[in-house]
Amino acid sequence: MSKIVMRFTGVGGQGVLLAGEIFAAAKIKAGGYGVKTATYTSQVRGGPTVVDIQLDDNEIWYPYAIDGQIDFMLSVADKSYQLFKSGVKEGGTIVIDPNLVTPSDEDRKKWNIVEIPIITIAKEEVGNVITQSVVALAIANTYTKALDEQLLIDTMLSKVPAKVHDVNKKAYELGKKYALESMK
Amino acid sequence: MSELREVISSGNDLAARAAVDAGCMFFGGYPLTPSSEIMHTISDLLPKVGGAAIQMEDEIGGVAAAIGAGMSGVRTLTATSGPGISLKAENLGLAQMCEVPLVVINVMRGGPSTGLPTRVSQGDIAQAKNPSHGDYKSITLCAGTLAECYTETVRAFNLADRFMQPVFVLLDETLGHMHAKAEIPTAETVKKGIVPRKKYEGKPEDYRPYDVAQDEPALLAPMFQGYRYNFTGLHHDADGFPTEEIETCRKLIDRLFRKVEEHKEEIESNEEYMLDDAEILLIGYGSASLAIKEAVNSLREEGIKVGLFRPITLWPSPEKRLYELGQKFDKVLSVELNQGQYLEEIQRAMGRKDIEKLTKTNGRPFSPADIINKVKEVF
Repeated sequence: MSKIVMRFTGVGGQGVLLAGEIFAAAKIKAGGYGVKTATYTSQVRGGPTVVDIQLDDNEIWYPYAIDGQIDFMLSVADKSYQLFKSGVKEGGTIVIDPNLVTPSDEDRKKWNIVEIPIITIAKEEVGNVITQSVVALAIANTYTKALDEQLLIDTMLSKVPAKVHDVNKKAYELGKKYALESMK
Repeated sequence: MSELREVISSGNDLAARAAVDAGCMFFGGYPLTPSSEIMHTISDLLPKVGGAAIQMEDEIGGVAAAIGAGMSGVRTLTATSGPGISLKAENLGLAQMCEVPLVVINVMRGGPSTGLPTRVSQGDIAQAKNPSHGDYKSITLCAGTLAECYTETVRAFNLADRFMQPVFVLLDETLGHMHAKAEIPTAETVKKGIVPRKKYEGKPEDYRPYDVAQDEPALLAPMFQGYRYNFTGLHHDADGFPTEEIETCRKLIDRLFRKVEEHKEEIESNEEYMLDDAEILLIGYGSASLAIKEAVNSLREEGIKVGLFRPITLWPSPEKRLYELGQKFDKVLSVELNQGQYLEEIQRAMGRKDIEKLTKTNGRPFSPADIINKVKEVF
């Protein structure tokens, strides 16, 4: 596998950090290298947050994603989307929550913009808004095919308490389902 | 060779785990971004090994409690960021003067003052050299990889007990928060490597903690074990009681310098990356070296022969090696996330002023492209 670079953006408090840690840990378990870095502001909640994830078979020195090299971005907040979209390579995929992010017409020409109502899925279909990071994880892996799905799910489950395993499995399945539908 | 284990973790988490593996039994502190995870982790770990972590009313109370633990003989830690070091400075001077071993981790963020709390910086290099007033020799280690957040913390505890003084470990926001794979020594290996502080074996009536050779640290017996002496920030005599006797005062400060100066080789640590056939020398440390290494690899693919010299021990500086490198290389570029705090030391050690610099103080990390462009621009 060549290097895959992903970026998750949102606002502080949404829990996008965990999805990054799960990706990195799963890649390392598979014998490769994974690095997650997060940048946030001193605003405790509501400040723009960006999580960069790099997955590679070779050793990674520099821990941040380099602008112009990002293959896949996912965004659930407009201010973060506007701030960080320019790092995505031309023709790259950006998944947005259409209720929260408003891309311009030029954006739609430059990138493959996919609309999936991530927060609504977590809140209404899974029944727990916190699971949005797992919905996002499933969408990202379905699009990038970065990692073996079972390995990723097992890693995710190892990082959440046993009593919420079922709800997180459901979140993963729904994320995957919506991602596959959006590809049609 | 020490045995290694693979872990997936962050720099802050690794530093806390290193402290516990190195035998630290007390943490006194106050949470401060971007260092807070050290306190979170160690608060969880210490009670499990019979130790204690306490959140005091502020950073000053935190270091004061840690120094108290050090006086009673246990390995002790405080952790914070630059603004916290400013608050702890007075007590760090007390620990230097009384010769109390202590490890101080500073996860650097943008300054001065409250600065940029969540963003990376290397702005506390000069502060680490002289956080408090007066004359003494700082020992400051600077992690440049995730694994070194662990190994340098372990090394700091052994150096603190060897030299009987505070030892700084500098991390920064990037290293503290980045999450990836690290290969670190097993806890068993670390345990085997622990060198505890020297013990006084003589009779209590003959005990004089500060009556030691001019290149040696004080020989402090843990408190409450029957050895009578005094702690004071004032100039003091062989028993630790205040004095203004001329020769005693001279010898005390002379010894605080010489105990470190004359044993620098025990403290020095550097990395040389792709230097053997290099024509351009880059100097950098801490997380900036991650971007530098990436830049070195890219520039070499283009046929530009660059290499990196990375001091891991910043204070005392590797002045002899810097001088040799200054003689060997015409083209030298210093790269740091401040306005050139270590550049002054590089110039002094090399005995030259014609060193190019790349600096950044907007809270953002260097990208490899920043360094590649600078090398192409100036050489």
